[in-house]
Amino acid sequence: MRSGPVARIGWAVLLTVLYLFLLAPVIIVFIESFDTSTYLRFPPQGFSLEPYRQVFANPDFQAGLKVSAVTAATTTLLALLCGVPAALALTRLRFRGRGAVEAAFLSPLLVPNIVLGLALLILFAPIPLTDTYWGLILAHLGVTIPYVVRTVTAALAGADPRAEEAAATLGAGPFTVFRRVTLPAIRPGLFSGGIIAFLLSFDETVISLFVSGHTVRPLPVAVLQYVEYRSDPSIAALSVCLVLLSVVAVVLVERGLGLRRSLRP
Amino acid sequence: MADQPAAPARAGYLRLAGLTKVFPGEGGPQGAAVAGIDLEVAHGELLAVLGPSGCGKSTTLRMIAGLIEPSAGTVEVGGRDITRLPVHRRDMGVVFQSYALFPHLDVFRNVAFGLEMRKTAKSEVRTRVARALDLVRLGHLGDRRVSQLSGGQQQRVALARALVIEPAVLLLDEPLSNLDAQLRGAMRDEIRRIHDETGITTVFVTHDQREALSMADRVAVMNAGRVEQLGTPEEVYERPSGRFTAEFVGRANLLPGTVTATHGAGGGAGAEVAIPGLGTVRATGDAVTPEGRATVMLRPHRITLRAAGKADAGPRGTVLSAGYSGEVIGYRVRAAHDGPELEVEHPAGAGTAFGPGAEVLIGWDDAAPRLVADDGDPA
Repeated sequence: MRSGPVARIGWAVLLTVLYLFLLAPVIIVFIESFDTSTYLRFPPQGFSLEPYRQVFANPDFQAGLKVSAVTAATTTLLALLCGVPAALALTRLRFRGRGAVEAAFLSPLLVPNIVLGLALLILFAPIPLTDTYWGLILAHLGVTIPYVVRTVTAALAGADPRAEEAAATLGAGPFTVFRRVTLPAIRPGLFSGGIIAFLLSFDETVISLFVSGHTVRPLPVAVLQYVEYRSDPSIAALSVCLVLLSVVAVVLVERGLGLRRSLRP
Repeated sequence: MADQPAAPARAGYLRLAGLTKVFPGEGGPQGAAVAGIDLEVAHGELLAVLGPSGCGKSTTLRMIAGLIEPSAGTVEVGGRDITRLPVHRRDMGVVFQSYALFPHLDVFRNVAFGLEMRKTAKSEVRTRVARALDLVRLGHLGDRRVSQLSGGQQQRVALARALVIEPAVLLLDEPLSNLDAQLRGAMRDEIRRIHDETGITTVFVTHDQREALSMADRVAVMNAGRVEQLGTPEEVYERPSGRFTAEFVGRANLLPGTVTATHGAGGGAGAEVAIPGLGTVRATGDAVTPEGRATVMLRPHRITLRAAGKADAGPRGTVLSAGYSGEVIGYRVRAAHDGPELEVEHPAGAGTAFGPGAEVLIGWDDAAPRLVADDGDPA
């Protein structure tokens, strides 16, 4: 396509405006996170690192961070342990009802989280699993496994099943084939799936709101309850920390995908 | 190539008996992908399984390898029944059509994989991998990544990887079909040389009759899940048992006629067959129906054409078309006015070239006509 300088400048302006629009909330939150004021308002009144100190000193946030980290890590591990065999079965085996199983694995994505949260609350309350780590992890598994199944299925589709057969003919038993041939081939997909699962679990608010309580309260729920009563710059500082965590994770995913590309030129 | 020993001392090293595969959803014995194959391969023999796509040849190979479980029948190697043995305990070297190399390992590690599985000592792995890479003439590329290799080199790595474990049987699934024409010719000779150097019993599957004829000690022609004919390349080409083999292995004119006389028996059997438009043809073979009908096979390159003078006797014909293809000229000739249409091949540059409409005298090698059972199953 031929494009003159006018068209190019037009594009640049359009893209800049678009990105500014998308990033505006993040930029405002970033600026606000250094404010000296006692409540959130724009423009800021001064510059200070005090909001960040408050975040790290807040016992609710500390407890929430711990709950979220433990939940997200366990959820990620279990989601991979369930999702990888599921993806393997769905791509490598032909069995009756395969389509139904695949649909079942992806169906949590179709149900609004608020409905899922309510349903889980009704289900968990009498057991009782509400306000426990396991309840939270179980709830998060429902929304993370579909993503792991998706990413690993995509990675498996790109791996040559004949290579697995070749390994078997060379004397590798089924588990060795998986460890030595299948796993290296799907490692980027596994990596991406794992990070996506971690982020989803770490960020998950709606379902957590239903199944968590005062003892086991993940960070997003703690944040939500904090802003119900107060809104000061420390909440902006916390948001900046969470955004940075996500950015780091996305960069890792990108590098994971880049790794796959370099393996299969 | 003509006098390959068809049955050396150690016959039946690899033995398939009644090997059958019916895939789920393909009901009935008619729909079987492989319908009861009996085959014996001698120790050190190179057998080609030749057939069109979908004839069951790859399925057969995969059943020998243990990658597909047979519905019925047995696979034996060296007198041992391995039908129920899982693939990783079978000791088969397999080269796949797509090569199926391990993309995350370098050439050396690819080749060493089978030895690692056998827990071979490190120093021995090094010498044996080096020897295998030398055998396929890739000795200098051990530390390359697989993705840096050309198709032909990947093929050689796959071959080295299968050979290094010194398998009981080497299985090649369409090993040359992903290579370009020039490379294919070179690899054909290469595989034959490697086979002769190692003496490994080899079965290779192909749809290319030239590959099968030029490389194999014996050829098993497969069609619709069955072995149509098993024989040396010369037998399969010169004395096809049926219409399918005649047409699939090389090109053939198949001419139905009425038997006027038969003579001899067994290998020396022959018959005279009256073919409309060509007169009486003397053919070898004994494929004559009880009603006295027979089909004569004439290979296109065994037919000769001469310019027809007014006084010349013998079958005549009219050239319908002529196609130049470098080495040969392919003619289509109508025998008499209403006789059969013949395919004829002449070496280009030798003798006269004929244009469409030319009147010609049709002749053939006396030894060329061959009776072929007409199983009514055109290729």
